[in-house]
Amino acid sequence: MAFLQRAFTTRELHDPSWLRRVFGDTRLAPLWAAARLYLGYQWLLAGWHKLWGEERWVNVPGQDGLPLQGFWQRVTAIPEEGSPPIKYDWYRDFLHYMLQHEWYTWFSWVIALGEVLAGVALIVGAFTGLAALGGALMNFNFLLAGSASTNPVLFVIAILILFGWKVAGWIGIDRWLLPALGTPWEPGAVFAGPSAGASGRAQQSHLRLDHVPAHLRALRARIAAASLRCGPALAGSQRLTPLGHAA
Amino acid sequence: MPLATTERVVALAVGLAAWLGVAIVSVLVVNAWNDENQVLAFIPIAASVVVAWAVGEWVTDRLFGPTKQ
Repeated sequence: MAFLQRAFTTRELHDPSWLRRVFGDTRLAPLWAAARLYLGYQWLLAGWHKLWGEERWVNVPGQDGLPLQGFWQRVTAIPEEGSPPIKYDWYRDFLHYMLQHEWYTWFSWVIALGEVLAGVALIVGAFTGLAALGGALMNFNFLLAGSASTNPVLFVIAILILFGWKVAGWIGIDRWLLPALGTPWEPGAVFAGPSAGASGRAQQSHLRLDHVPAHLRALRARIAAASLRCGPALAGSQRLTPLGHAA
Repeated sequence: MPLATTERVVALAVGLAAWLGVAIVSVLVVNAWNDENQVLAFIPIAASVVVAWAVGEWVTDRLFGPTKQ
């Protein structure tokens, strides 16, 4: 059992510095903003077609969602020859269930509004990570339904934006939203009171998005103190691991 | 010197309006150009984002003052 204990003991693995820089350095924010704008524009365009276009899915005379009904019927059909568009039976059953219960009437609204909202949120950079997650989820479903189109490319961009969620909205509303609302592990000024970052410089330091959990900050301080105590002897040949052990 | 409440509210409203403007510009551009000119459509949207971001920075300065090193 010792090897299991050794393997799963508390240990934190760190990303290389270049990776941290790509996904967390605000100097690369313009690059993320460009990716975000491209993705947002594509979603807004797709949603616009469904909401207001000539062949729109909703707000039409008669029943809403008929194009979606047609799409579901087409992809759930199993051809006599060749392979069906949907590879997974459970997903075909899922779409078939929605088709049988005429969910396309309201689900077309969900898709159309979801695409427009994801597009606008990505363009203005509000809740960028969540918007990218929503977009990726829609891409994922379209891909499962056998519709490739632009979905693979948009999916990859959305996943990259998800990884860079802290900095992707830096040239956007997230620059102010994230410090105000914070994260689940570090509440912002709105939830933790003004002392947590609403006033003056505290807010500015928060704006650097230096979201390091409190226990890691304490650990970092302990390591720094230990380095000072050990002095040159440690600085020469030994390095401290992030958990305070000599490497 | 701390700003008066009215000034803060006005500055915040200006910042919010700037970003609302980006959303409006985006929808208008998509509405006007649709599938055509996808590359050109990028320019007004990106420009509006840059303007809104600059306004936001100005608002932050007005609300919190310049950074002291």
